[in-house]
Amino acid sequence: MSTDPPPVAEVIASSTREIVAEVYAEAEVPAFGSWVEVGTDDGTVLYGLVSHAETGSVEPGRQAVALGADYDRDRIRREMPQILELVRTTVRAQVLAYWDGQTRDGGRPRVRQTLPPRPAALHDRVRPCGPDAVAALAAPFDVLRTLARHPDPAVPADDLLAAALRNLHAAHGGGPDGEAVLVEAGRALARLLDDDHERLQSILRRVR
Amino acid sequence: MRPSEPAHPLLRQWYSAASPVDPVLDFARLAGQIADFAAYRVEEDRAHAGRLDRALAALDDCAPGWETLRDRAEQLSGGPLRALPRTRPDGCHTCAPRPATVTVVATDGSQIFPDRHVDPACYLLNVGRVAIHYGTLDPPLIRAEPTLRYRQQDLADLAEDDAEASPLDVTSEVVSALRDELELRWLFDTADEERRSGREVVAMADGTLIRWMLRGMKNRRLETQLLSRYVAELDRFREAGIPVCSYVSRPANAEVVNLLRLHRNEPDWDPAPDTLRGLQDRHVFASRLEAGERSAVFLSRSEVLKQYGDHRIVAFYVHGCAEVGRVEMPEWVAEVPGWLDLVHAVVLDQCEKGGGYPIILQEAHERAVVRAREKDVFYRILARQARGAGAEAATYSGKAASKRAPRV
Repeated sequence: MSTDPPPVAEVIASSTREIVAEVYAEAEVPAFGSWVEVGTDDGTVLYGLVSHAETGSVEPGRQAVALGADYDRDRIRREMPQILELVRTTVRAQVLAYWDGQTRDGGRPRVRQTLPPRPAALHDRVRPCGPDAVAALAAPFDVLRTLARHPDPAVPADDLLAAALRNLHAAHGGGPDGEAVLVEAGRALARLLDDDHERLQSILRRVR
Repeated sequence: MRPSEPAHPLLRQWYSAASPVDPVLDFARLAGQIADFAAYRVEEDRAHAGRLDRALAALDDCAPGWETLRDRAEQLSGGPLRALPRTRPDGCHTCAPRPATVTVVATDGSQIFPDRHVDPACYLLNVGRVAIHYGTLDPPLIRAEPTLRYRQQDLADLAEDDAEASPLDVTSEVVSALRDELELRWLFDTADEERRSGREVVAMADGTLIRWMLRGMKNRRLETQLLSRYVAELDRFREAGIPVCSYVSRPANAEVVNLLRLHRNEPDWDPAPDTLRGLQDRHVFASRLEAGERSAVFLSRSEVLKQYGDHRIVAFYVHGCAEVGRVEMPEWVAEVPGWLDLVHAVVLDQCEKGGGYPIILQEAHERAVVRAREKDVFYRILARQARGAGAEAATYSGKAASKRAPRV
C-alpha cells in the first residue's frame, strides 16, 4: 500500500476494535467517516474508519475558558499562544480491516475485511488512506457488517455509515464510477440492515 | 473571652451531617467557636474601616512635605521598617498601553524536598520557564527544567572556605533558598536567550525579590553565600540591560503604613487605640488607586537589603483587575527612562489576561509544580534505577513505612 502521505496522527490508545490517535499539531484532522491506515512493526497494515474526533486541553484539570469576543484566531496566536500549545485533537477510528503486508492478488494487496489478529502498537503512525486503499475497502463491503450489526454503543453507526458511503463516492471520483460504487454499497447495506427500509432510507438521505 | 452563645440550630444540623462513624473533624462541637469567630470578624471590620480612614487622612496630610518625612524616616534607627518614597507618596500614575510587541519571560519553581525518612538524601528542583513574544507570531517557549541534587559535594560547595563547617544539613529552608536562586538564574538565561532585537523584554519573577528568609537560617556562612549569589544574578540582568521585576499577590507589607504612623508620631510598639497598626499597604492603595493606576515608588528598608549593593529593592503598588498587587524591582530598573512604565503596562496586561494574576506566572507555575503522584513516581524510578545499578535498597524509617501502607 502507498505510504506516501505523511502521517497525520499517532496512536495513543489501542484495542482490537478501535484506536485513539493524537493528531499532529500541523496536520489536518482526518474527516469523520474517512479511512485511515496504521502501519505496524511487523508489516501489517490496519485500516480504520474515523468515528470520532475531539479537541481539548492536554492537561487534565485544565479546561478551556472563553476569552471574549475580541479574541479571534489571529489575536489568540499573538496574545495567548500558550493556549495553542496546551490543546490537542484526538480521533477514534474503528478498526475494520487489515492487510498482512505480504499476500497479494495479482499484484494488489489482499485486504481482509475483518478484525485484525493483533491491535496497533502505541505510537504507530496514522495516515489517511490513498484512493487505492479506499478502493480495496469497497465490495463486498464486509467492513460495514461489524458497524451495522455490532456497533460500539459510543459510535453513531448510521451517521458513520452515511459518511463512509459519501467518502466512498468521492474516492471514486464522484460521477458515474462513484454512483456505481454507491449503488453496490447501498445493496450490501440493505441486506445488512435486514430490509429495515426506514433505516436504509435515513442513511441514504444523509449520503446525498 | 465571653462564653459561646448557643449555635444556630441549623448550624448544628449542617455540621452533624457527617456520619458519627466517619473519622472527620467534629463540626458539631466546633459550631459555637465558628459562630464566635464570625462575630469577631464583624468587630474587626469596623476597626479596620476606622484605621483605613485615619491612614488615608495621614497620606493626604504628609504628601506636601513628603521629602522631610522621608529624610526623617531615613535617619531614624530602630523601630518598624518604614518605606522611603521616591516621589510624592500620594501620587497615582497611569501608563500608556503595553507596546504592540514585547517579549515577557517568567519562571517559577517547585521541589521535592529531601525525605528525612529516606536514605541517602536527595532533592529535586523543578523550574518552569516561559517566554512569550506578545504581538508576534513567534512561537512561545514553555519548558520545565528538573535538577536532581544529591552529591555531598554540591552541598559542601555552599559552605566552602569554612574549615569548621559540619556537613550541611539540607533542610527544607536550604532547598527553598536554592530553588529561588535557580529560578532567578533560569529567568536570566531565558530572557537572554529569547530577547529579540528591536523588541523590549521584561523578566518577571514570582513573589518577593527581598530575601528576608535567608536571615535567621542556622548557618551564617551559608546565608552570606546564598545572598551574594542571589545578588550576583541580579547583576547579570543589569549588565545585559534586561529589566527584571517580580509580582507579589495579596502583599502583606506595611512599610508605607509604618511611614504614615511616623507622620502621626505614633509610638513604635505600644499600640494606642487609634493606631494604624494592623493595616497593610494594599488596603491604603486599594482605596486610592483607580483600576490600572500604580502608586509612587518606595524603597524598602528591609535589613537584608544592606547586602544588595546597587540592587536595593524598590516597589510600587498597582491596581490590577482583581486586586492591588506589589511589583518589586532593583532600584536601577526604576531609574532607566521608560522602564517603570514598561513594567507597569506589562503587569497590567498580564493580570488582565490572567484574570487577576499575571498569566505568564500561572503558566510557569503549571510547568513547575510537582504533583503528589509525580512524587511517588519519582521515588519509584529512583528505587528502580538504584536497584538496576546494584545499590542497596533505600531504607525507610518505621514511620515512613507505616504511612505508605496504613493498616486498619
